[in-house]
Amino acid sequence: MKRYIARRLMQGAILLVMVAMIVFFLGRLTGNPVDLMLPEDATAEDREAMIKTLGLDGSVLDQFVIFVTNAVQGDLGRSIRMKQPAVEAFFDRLPNTLIIIPWALLLGMVAGIPLGVMAALNRGGLLDRFAGTVAVLGVAMPSFWLGVLLIFVFSVELGWLPSSRMGGPDHYVLPVITLGTFLVAGFMRITRSAMLEVMESEFVKLARIKGLAETTVIWKHCLRNALIPVLTLWGVFVGNLITGAIVTETVFAWPGIGRLTYEAVIYRDFPLLQAVIILKSILILTINLGVDILYAYVDPRIRLA
Amino acid sequence: MIRGVARIATLALGLLVAAAVAPTTAQEQKGTLIFAVESLGAQTLDPILEGRPGNAVYQAVMYDSLVGFNFEKGGVGPGVAERWELSPDGLSWTFFIRPGQVFHNGDKLTAHDVKFSLERQMSQGSLAAAAATMRRTIKSIEVVNELTVQVNTNSPQIGLPAGLSRAVAPEGAIMPKNYIEKVGDEEYRKNPIGSGPWKFKRNVKGDRIEFEAVTHNHWRGRPHFKELHILLVPEESTRVAMVRTGEAAIASIGPETMLSAARAGLEVLSVPGTMQAIFQFYGAYKPENKDLPIAKPRVRQALSLAIDRKQIIEHVMNGKARMPHPFATFAYTDFFSAAKWEKWANENYRYDPALAKKILAEEGYPNGFELKFANTALPGTQFMVDIGTALADMWTKIGVKVTLKHYEWGSFAPLERGDQAQLLGWASMYRTAGRPDAPWRYDGAFSPESTQRLLGHKEHCGDICQEYVKTYRALIAELDREKRTALTDKMVEIVANTWTVIPIIEGMGYYAINTRKVGQFAPIAGRHELGDVFERVPRPEQKAWPKK
Repeated sequence: MKRYIARRLMQGAILLVMVAMIVFFLGRLTGNPVDLMLPEDATAEDREAMIKTLGLDGSVLDQFVIFVTNAVQGDLGRSIRMKQPAVEAFFDRLPNTLIIIPWALLLGMVAGIPLGVMAALNRGGLLDRFAGTVAVLGVAMPSFWLGVLLIFVFSVELGWLPSSRMGGPDHYVLPVITLGTFLVAGFMRITRSAMLEVMESEFVKLARIKGLAETTVIWKHCLRNALIPVLTLWGVFVGNLITGAIVTETVFAWPGIGRLTYEAVIYRDFPLLQAVIILKSILILTINLGVDILYAYVDPRIRLA
Repeated sequence: MIRGVARIATLALGLLVAAAVAPTTAQEQKGTLIFAVESLGAQTLDPILEGRPGNAVYQAVMYDSLVGFNFEKGGVGPGVAERWELSPDGLSWTFFIRPGQVFHNGDKLTAHDVKFSLERQMSQGSLAAAAATMRRTIKSIEVVNELTVQVNTNSPQIGLPAGLSRAVAPEGAIMPKNYIEKVGDEEYRKNPIGSGPWKFKRNVKGDRIEFEAVTHNHWRGRPHFKELHILLVPEESTRVAMVRTGEAAIASIGPETMLSAARAGLEVLSVPGTMQAIFQFYGAYKPENKDLPIAKPRVRQALSLAIDRKQIIEHVMNGKARMPHPFATFAYTDFFSAAKWEKWANENYRYDPALAKKILAEEGYPNGFELKFANTALPGTQFMVDIGTALADMWTKIGVKVTLKHYEWGSFAPLERGDQAQLLGWASMYRTAGRPDAPWRYDGAFSPESTQRLLGHKEHCGDICQEYVKTYRALIAELDREKRTALTDKMVEIVANTWTVIPIIEGMGYYAINTRKVGQFAPIAGRHELGDVFERVPRPEQKAWPKK
């Protein structure tokens, strides 16, 4: 197991280096923060001065060397726009994203897994079709559109919930539904297909032959085994939520790392963009490693592979 | 007798109470004014670290500017300095500071603060857009007395006061010398103080900035609300929803949202003259491009005649825009014959596709030609993409085959730099912000040393380019007001006749307003942002909006 973890850590480190290089060079191909900070009638003199002040006057290679040298010492630079250490900016916003993710995951699992089980048990029936519709809608509805729709119905028309921003428990409802709808569809689909597969397996037939109650067979034996791929998907979903909450955070004016990433891209805030992508990658790699380790414990064949 | 005395005493007491209470009630500050905006820029309260839009949105509420606004007409007016004078040799500006101004910690605002602030804007660590220009042009700053400061320049800088007005630029923000020197930059950035009508209360990064009203009678106006919260809400439909639900009183919107906001019962406020949407040609003067259709001024004029500006105003801008003046000029432009040029623009920017086709035929393009057009929108003006698309359609009608390429602004801006290789022979959408000083913007677009250099550059400055340079240099050194107006008109004429930069519409700033949350107020012409307006926003019971 130790060798397995060491190998995964090594792979993660290589991946991080690649991510850092791609973000560094691709980011610089797309523009310059000075163009976005200066008015359209700024003089060339003012432009040069600002480039120098921001430390962008060296060659890209020189800048990369400085970046790598600082990064290995834990310094990912200062945000050009926010004028604070990029790592600090990331960790200021991270809790705002992390606070919403568990609720979205909970919604996804609480609604998606039972629905998937029901759909599998009623294969081809009305419930299965309903679940299929939920799955299609959940995947097909853009979260941007869903968020705006929810705001219109529940905030503007009904006046039940606040339209946006962080606040009390009622502020969480619409963003969680917006983020969680995709997860409901995802968990439902994977649970349904896993359940169908497990229900056809020999040990389930044996359990039935032994005369176990159908409820026990379904909810204890089938579901427990069907949850293994769900566990894998869980790791993927957490990663998706961390990286993909940009739209939801933008629509609901939620000051999380999704929006921070978006702002870093729009303003060509290179140090912030590099820091955010690298730190997000570390987060996702850690989560995936955790899931893989768990998976390896659940299924010993993984370790041997 | 006793009853009579009691009556008189009661009456006197009543009068006393009425006298004491009436003014207090009239000036009572209560409630929170909530404003939702799409961007808070750098979200820092240190003026030397923020650009023009962010400064005007939220720094303006707590900082006063050395030179202020003309609230009636738009453009430059009194600010921290109530007046200013140019020395006869044109090398010194003297600013006379309004007496009785105080910072939020009670310190008096003096000439020392003005000197300190300008020097801080010019310092090496400053991210002020004009820092380098200020370092080059300003020779020294002298405190003449507590309320008089003199700025000495290396050459005549007649545009200096305008450059220190928030109508133009953020560099005139006045900061507290003693406080910053005492606590240092870091502490000042955490707990900033200014002299504006709102005091800093809290800055929650990525979310909001909160301010509290000052209680004294500020020269910009005493706020009617007790607090002001400026919320960062990037998504426009969310901002409108917040105004509809009352979670925000005012929200910035684009022209595409105006109709739906009005239909939802919101008031839509337009700020006149905040920008011009324009299109411009790159490298049309270059010898290697002389055979291109766009190298001919008449062809460029034909492209202008093919634009139905009234259709764009009606359908893209929902009626909330107007016919433009010539490039980078507005009704409030200083030293400029606005009325004359308005008449000129109405005639020359008319829609006349028949004449456009005739000109193309006369110039040798009866079947049109191929035009490469870069469609882009500067931040906050997303509607320019729709205008660019409309332009391409209109040009198609006179036979011009347009290759339209869309660019996100951050990707487009670098194309203008260096040799402009990718843009030579192209036209593109562009914008100019509403400012009262035309020469500044003209210099950025047409100086042979400028980044854009649309009339010519150092190696290829032809007759028109040289005439422009000569006029511009004469203008920025001219001290006589009448001669200066004549030179501005001449500079505008030279450029207008080249048809190199062509205004499409004069745009406005737009806001959705919940009339149950704020009363009627007027914006400042040409100043899109509301940072200098919030203190004059009344509560709804103080001044209701007219019924529709």
